[in-house]
Amino acid sequence: MELQARKLFDRSLTGVSIMAILLMSLSLLVLLGPIFSRGAGAFVFRATNEFRRLNLEQFNRGDAQAIAEETRAVSEARKPVYEMLSAFEAELADMDASRRRELRPQLKEIKNLLRELLGSLPGEIEAVMLRQQYGQTRWDRARYKLGQILFREQWDYSDKRSMGKKVLTPRRQDFAGTRLEPLFTYLERNLKQLLRPRLTFYWRFLTDRSLDSHFFGGIWPEILGTFYLTLGAMLLAIPFGIIAAIYLSEFASSGRVTSLLRVCISTLAGVPSIVFGLFGLAFFINTLHLSRSKSVLAGSATLALLILPTIIRASEEALKAVPHTYKEAALSLGASPLRMVLTVLLPAALPGILTGIIISMGRAAGETAPIIFTAAVSVGQPLKLWETLSQPTPALPWNIYNLATEHQAVDEIRHVQFGMVLTLVLLVLLLNLAAILIRARVSKKMRG
Amino acid sequence: MSDAASRLRRLAAFFSKGLLFLATALSLVAVLLIILYIARDAIPFFKLRGLKELFASASWFPSGHPPEFGALAIFIGSGLVTLGAIVVAVPLGVAAAIALSDILPYRLRQAVKPVIEILAALPSVAYGFFALVIFAPLLQNRGGSLLALAAWLIALPLGLLLIFVITEIVTRRVREDVAQAARLILAATLVVILVRGLLALSSLLGRVAISSGTNALNVSIILGIMALPTIVSVAEDSLQAAGRELREGSYALGATRAETLFKVVIPAAGSGIIAAVILGVMRAIGETMVVWMASGNAAQIPSPWFNFLSPVRTLTATIAGDMGEADQVLGSERYHVLFALALCLLLTSFIANLASEWILRRQQRRLGGLK
Repeated sequence: MELQARKLFDRSLTGVSIMAILLMSLSLLVLLGPIFSRGAGAFVFRATNEFRRLNLEQFNRGDAQAIAEETRAVSEARKPVYEMLSAFEAELADMDASRRRELRPQLKEIKNLLRELLGSLPGEIEAVMLRQQYGQTRWDRARYKLGQILFREQWDYSDKRSMGKKVLTPRRQDFAGTRLEPLFTYLERNLKQLLRPRLTFYWRFLTDRSLDSHFFGGIWPEILGTFYLTLGAMLLAIPFGIIAAIYLSEFASSGRVTSLLRVCISTLAGVPSIVFGLFGLAFFINTLHLSRSKSVLAGSATLALLILPTIIRASEEALKAVPHTYKEAALSLGASPLRMVLTVLLPAALPGILTGIIISMGRAAGETAPIIFTAAVSVGQPLKLWETLSQPTPALPWNIYNLATEHQAVDEIRHVQFGMVLTLVLLVLLLNLAAILIRARVSKKMRG
Repeated sequence: MSDAASRLRRLAAFFSKGLLFLATALSLVAVLLIILYIARDAIPFFKLRGLKELFASASWFPSGHPPEFGALAIFIGSGLVTLGAIVVAVPLGVAAAIALSDILPYRLRQAVKPVIEILAALPSVAYGFFALVIFAPLLQNRGGSLLALAAWLIALPLGLLLIFVITEIVTRRVREDVAQAARLILAATLVVILVRGLLALSSLLGRVAISSGTNALNVSIILGIMALPTIVSVAEDSLQAAGRELREGSYALGATRAETLFKVVIPAAGSGIIAAVILGVMRAIGETMVVWMASGNAAQIPSPWFNFLSPVRTLTATIAGDMGEADQVLGSERYHVLFALALCLLLTSFIANLASEWILRRQQRRLGGLK
């Protein structure tokens, strides 16, 4: 019996550990699932007539004639809406005072919502903000706005023990008997004619500048900023990283100095990223005055320090993996150690070094904390190359944070946030995939 | 070869080696500069306000008149989410490391490795975004049922395991012919008790209302997942380093795989696992974006202290969040206090790193001696 118990114990250990693996994989799926599915919504969605009009007027893009025709048809469909509004306004003036007091604020609310849904009302002065000039560009947002027009949202706090409950009352009830009553049915039935949704693949999300702080347009400034920051960090970190790896793997004696260096490298790897950010602010900007305030240069330098240990470690591993016979053959032919390193060792270790570089590139692109104080701003134009020396830039990771927490209309631009996260995650995943492929090829070659 | 040429060559070699050394020393210089510059801006704060206020008071009003800099709640917040992350990551990470090193066949292992790599590679802001936009509303709206589900998922397998062990221990002395029946009856009663208990617990948890989804629990779970890759990979390395000989010796003596793991491999690799945990914990302490976005950022001590459903504020989030305003008033107490917090963070990370380094080296030497 004892034996059976031991076997069962063994099995349960297997079960528990496999469960851990499953749980880990599941958490990755749960994490990536919504990011991919909702992030795709930034690229593929049902775009309304407003979207095409905006593209034509702001980016000069699309078939002007077709869009003008469509706009004409759409405004024909919208006419009854505006007629009902003005008819009701005339009616409102004749109502008794109490009813008027009750309905006027509601009318104002509906007009505001209609502006958000369909763009500025006819006869009004052109609004300054772009978001007030155009209606909803996305069908899903338009449906949501329609819901807000059809139903008034109230919170019921009568039950003290539980949290407030949401109660939806149809606005049609509020306006029963007035000339605005048919509006709600009309909107609900004819929303498609009002906006003409069409499935659109908006790949230009990646290359468009943002309009009116990300209400419309794409994320090009952020992508470019991330590119500059990553490129700068790599340019600064790669030479030092590879040289350090060569020194550590080939020339360093196993003395105290070397072990001190190694401790320093692992310590540097363990410094929290936010401390790097503070250091970048205190050293690169406030002391060295690399730039007057935040700049891509200062951010790149900070990021370079952050990824230096990763590059050193990966390169050293790669250099150590090169068979001894290579080196010995080169040395026995009379090459100096330095020459041996440059002509034999480095080429042989190159794929491994490349893997490390690619992985740390993903890290540099995705880090936020080090660039908060050194490089990132929320709103900015795409930079020219020479401007990176002195100008701050928007960057994907920082703007994800910024749009998700500090933007004035966080809920309305969810699709932009998800699109940005998807872009960043895809970038990092592709870099990692490249690294995995290179490694697979190398290990195949080594085995073959 | 002439004498002069050879001397020249040796000189060149010496210089090139010197240059290589200088480039390598950049890491050393960087570490020194980081300490220097963080400390340089932190010391004015301690000079102005002393040590006591920062560590003993919990009222954090850096922009008040007069300002108060009691960071106790912030330290406790950091500690709380780290504790939560440990609870999530350590059992899961160690179990996964065991699976990777000893249990899964080679092919499956190769398939799981990318999962760990992707978890490690995902940018922290993506985790933070997930925590804020997806996980927090979920917790807020369905918190109770999620907690109940989690309780079932964790307690049921562990409870069954425990029941099995208990029945074995209790019936060990019972006579052989009745043992089987006794075991069955005992196990059945215990299972009924377990299920009843879980039902009661889940209905209790199901009624828990989470007033805000951005709280310590949310952050702990996400931080735990973020710390997983570090823990798994370092722990797996040290489990692997224990070597085949030890395992085969144990198998030869008739031990099962579980016994080999618990009595031979884990004692040999234990210090490496501890180092893995330290490194994973450091990742959780040093993480900024997730806690900044999803911890609620309330500088208050949760009551009771282990209340994971209350919002907390951590060191890293405070630095990230307050610097935006403190930056304008360079040289003020508000500016320096953030460097003081960063210094605490830095010292913690140094100590943790040196400890894990020392532990790993000692293990290497010991296992090297074994072979």
